[in-house]
Amino acid sequence: MQASSVEIRKVNKFYGPFHALKDIDLSIPPGKVTCLIGPSGSGKSTLLRCMNFLEEYDSGEVRIDGQLIGYDAPGKRMSGRKLREMRRSIGMVFQQFNLWPHMTAHENVAEGLIRVRGLSKADAMTRAADALAKVGLADKMGNHPSRLSGGQQQRVAIARAIAMEPKLMLFDEPTSALDPELVGEVLNVMKTLASEGMTMVVVTHEMGFAAHVADQVAFLEKGELVDVDTPSGILHHPKDARIQSFLRTYHERNSF
Amino acid sequence: MFSIPVFFESFGPLLWAARYTLLISFLGIGLGLILGALICAARLSPYAILRRFAAVWVSFLRGVPLLVQLLVFYYALPVIGLDVPAFVAAIVTVGICASAYISEIWRGAINALPRGQSEAAIAIGMSPRDVWSRVVLPQAVSLSLPALINELILLVKASSLVSVVGILEITRSSQAQAATTFRPLEVYLAAACIYLMINLCLAALGRYLEHRTTV
Amino acid sequence: MDIAVFQQYGPALIKGFGYTILCWALGTVFGMMLGLVIALIQRYSPRPVRWIIQIYIEIIRGTPFLVQLFVLYYGGPLVGLRLDALPAGLLGLTIYSSPYFAEIFRSAFRAVPLGQIEAARAIGMAEPTIIRRILLPLGLVSALPALVNFSIILTKETVILSMITVPELMYQVSRMSTETFRYLEANLVLALFFWALVETISRVGRRFEARITKHLIERT
Repeated sequence: MQASSVEIRKVNKFYGPFHALKDIDLSIPPGKVTCLIGPSGSGKSTLLRCMNFLEEYDSGEVRIDGQLIGYDAPGKRMSGRKLREMRRSIGMVFQQFNLWPHMTAHENVAEGLIRVRGLSKADAMTRAADALAKVGLADKMGNHPSRLSGGQQQRVAIARAIAMEPKLMLFDEPTSALDPELVGEVLNVMKTLASEGMTMVVVTHEMGFAAHVADQVAFLEKGELVDVDTPSGILHHPKDARIQSFLRTYHERNSF
Repeated sequence: MFSIPVFFESFGPLLWAARYTLLISFLGIGLGLILGALICAARLSPYAILRRFAAVWVSFLRGVPLLVQLLVFYYALPVIGLDVPAFVAAIVTVGICASAYISEIWRGAINALPRGQSEAAIAIGMSPRDVWSRVVLPQAVSLSLPALINELILLVKASSLVSVVGILEITRSSQAQAATTFRPLEVYLAAACIYLMINLCLAALGRYLEHRTTV
Repeated sequence: MDIAVFQQYGPALIKGFGYTILCWALGTVFGMMLGLVIALIQRYSPRPVRWIIQIYIEIIRGTPFLVQLFVLYYGGPLVGLRLDALPAGLLGLTIYSSPYFAEIFRSAFRAVPLGQIEAARAIGMAEPTIIRRILLPLGLVSALPALVNFSIILTKETVILSMITVPELMYQVSRMSTETFRYLEANLVLALFFWALVETISRVGRRFEARITKHLIERT
């Protein structure tokens, strides 16, 4: 599998007067899993959404395999066509799944292959079936999203992304909308994907996943990148007081 | 006293006149759907001037009583050199008036879609046209169906007002009959019954469609 | 356009406007009251009564206002209901608007969380007190936007009263236009007048609404 790298340099993002991302520098190595953690409102989802330009950053650079995304040159917007070209190889999974309710699981996955990759309907359906089999949903292909559990919906959403054969996968809190007992099935699919050498960036509150699957963990707070390190460096030996306090709150909340 | 035979006898001519009521309502909503789509597109467009125009269009047509609109159009069309039959003027007025409400129905349906729906399509690299035709519009259309049926019911009722420009639809026909038979109660009640039957059928259709589209 | 014509007909137009406002205000108030009564009966009555009310609602909502007025004004005398144009118009407006108001109240009452009512029952409040102290205040506030909205729609319906010779604004304008043959100008001015009226009322309505519902918006 081909895997992309992401280079983020001096990225800033404003919402009116609110400074959402402050001079972010981060390297995402190819074939590795990077988890973005931090309190809510810290800017981690915004940073993730800058990587496929769903969110426009105001200054700095985000490069996928060396190519700037969203701009041809600093300050000069990229054409829609070129941006779509780049997005084809970046898969994204959302917190709210965002499956299209008027299509079956099978059609949800095939839609992009037909409309974006230009595959014939028959080929797209075959490839979509393979992708659904990979996330363990071969038997649910004909169901509409409303007839699937949250965990199954999120696995369809992952299948929809991987069917496009991306070189980079972005996950925006993929398990936050799920009932606790459904989190495992989604994380397992993600682990499989990681073991195959996919570059993955995951915004998550699942510290267990970050500890066991991630290659590096980045901690953000109030739009600042506080630290980037190995999982154990961040989660077991945090140097910064802000990370220590975040983890303390996390452990208090998750112990009984 | 109320005469049951007179009541039933008046149905014949009224049912015949109902074809105009239906024609005006259906052609009116057809025109309203087309114009409404254009106005809605203008309302959502990136050009401030189009948005402004659409906003004024909607505000004017929703602010002015249909009866007044009808008379304005009826008298204005000859002035601008369009000498069209009253029937055509009526359909155009009803359609233009409906376009204001329909554009708002569609705008509401489009805005009701979660943003994530189009974001998911953008994220896999769909072109704006595909995002609209494959993801946004199919959902918006099915979301708006009940409201559109409701609008059609409103038009059937509103079409009674075109009687003022002399079109022999249900209401005008009932006025004519009341004047010749001197039995207004029976005749107008019969007219009310026909409107009610039409609208109950449409309401049933609306419920059926609503039931069918909510998967 | 001749200003002199408007000067000549000025007093009649002003009188007409007065009737328009009168019909609108009284029609709205009476319609709202009847609608509220219908909604309460629907909430607290046994099934057969609810069915009868539902039939009334369907009939009124399924027929044009104009035809309702004709039945009432021209058909009424046949069964001994002899009304002048103005009372007939007001009664018509009340009847016509009542099911819409009832529907607004009904859904507003449904939106009052059951827990609020149960909390009142739990402290032993009697049902009429619950209606007066809990259901009505909470329901009315959540019904407000829809009530304002429908009242604005009713301003436009008042022009239909001209068809049974209620001397409101539209009636005066029609008279003026047939006497002066200035059909287009007169109706155009009337259209612009209504546009301004409805826009103004909507703005005032929104401000009024924002004021009343302010304390109910949850602060985050």
